[in-house]
Amino acid sequence: MKTYKLYESSTHAWLVFGRDPGKPSQIIDTNQYMVVSKDNALLIDPGGIELFSAMLTTVIKQVPVEKITHLFASHQDPDIISSLGLWDQALENATLHSPWLWESFIRHFGMNNITYSPIPDEGGQLHLDDAMLRFIPAHYLHSSGNVNIYDPKAKILMSGDIGAALEEPEAPIYVDNFEAHIPKMKTFHQRWMPSNEAKNDWVSRVRELDIEMLCPQHGRIFRGDDVGRFLDWFESLEVGITQKALG
Amino acid sequence: MKPGSKKYNYMSSENCSYFVTAAVIAAKLDQATRAAQQLTLIASNAKALALRAGQGAAGFRPLTDFIHKLADVTVSSSKKIDLLATELSRMAAEKVRGDRAIAHFDTVYENAKDSPYIHSLDVVYKRTVEKQQDVVIAYRQQIDRLNEELDVLEKELRAAGILATLSRVEALQADSFYQDALNNVADNVESVAVSIKTHIKSSQSLVAELH
Ligand SMILES: [Fe+2]
Ligand SMILES: [Fe+2]
Repeated sequence: MKTYKLYESSTHAWLVFGRDPGKPSQIIDTNQYMVVSKDNALLIDPGGIELFSAMLTTVIKQVPVEKITHLFASHQDPDIISSLGLWDQALENATLHSPWLWESFIRHFGMNNITYSPIPDEGGQLHLDDAMLRFIPAHYLHSSGNVNIYDPKAKILMSGDIGAALEEPEAPIYVDNFEAHIPKMKTFHQRWMPSNEAKNDWVSRVRELDIEMLCPQHGRIFRGDDVGRFLDWFESLEVGITQKALG
Repeated sequence: MKPGSKKYNYMSSENCSYFVTAAVIAAKLDQATRAAQQLTLIASNAKALALRAGQGAAGFRPLTDFIHKLADVTVSSSKKIDLLATELSRMAAEKVRGDRAIAHFDTVYENAKDSPYIHSLDVVYKRTVEKQQDVVIAYRQQIDRLNEELDVLEKELRAAGILATLSRVEALQADSFYQDALNNVADNVESVAVSIKTHIKSSQSLVAELH
């Protein structure tokens, strides 16, 4: 699994792990993110059970295992957090931040040591030493309990499945041609996102944020002007359409 | 144990189906419990029969109490074994989970051996292996308890044959009007006992596979 550094400052750094060459081909490619501060590390959408050893191998090259004190699951999907039962064996005192809605469901993945910290519908904050992250509600995009992470200092929005694209395993990590990228994400958004109302509400709230990088869980990262392009495109896209209607 | 040395004794792939075997045992005992409940019904019917027959089957009456007792013991014992086996299945699944985690950690030792932080995994590895050893001990103890209980139930059921024989003897001495009914009680006690014994026997051989 490859590692890219997205941001670094005196207080914290953002890393993304993905493009795992050893991943079985039937499994959707995922981006896992990690925020590292002085004494703590947060794993964002740590991924599926199939990815666990590749993930731990990659993570342990960056930080000692006991430094991973926080996990975040944007929603309940298997590609997001089905590895929980194994992280639970590896981490003794970690906290999992995830929407309150999914607590009793996510526990089915196996959780005896990790503490569940439910994120309320309206979002919240997480302090990692001197870094501050905000939980931004993104319900129904696609999951009915779904949260993004916004870092006002790094100007990074980790947007979960929003902005996701189905890509070749060797695809670059940044969008380099927005128009050419559209076909790779169009069906995904039309089919997986159920609500135009939720989508438009999210777009208007996210426009208020200062964003340098929009980082989805699948596909490529949007930088600079491509962030605005994505928001415009997403706003005008009609979602909640089945395959049949898509034709 | 040295972390990453792969010296940890994993369950082989066939052993990974331990929790399935344990679940099958639980299911068998559930069937045995239901058969035992039939025995309770037979005992109640026998008692009613003894009351109706009165002096016509005087020697049969105390036998019905024994049948009742056998039914009670069998029901509670097979229920207990059912619970033990269900718990065993849970423990076996836990064991598999622990083994999987250790196997994943071994892969990480292999693939991240040059990482400056690789030894931060040592404490995790040691903790998981130690916990796993406790799980294995508890699991073995549970198998022993299950075996003991199966033996106890098997011994209790030997009484069924005696009770059936005694019922037949009483039938010979009873008024001809009640003879068929008494023989019928004997047949029922016997056949239920045979069916429970079959479940026990196959459970015992399944338990033997778990060792
Ligand atoms: Fe999802
Ligand atoms: Fe996803």
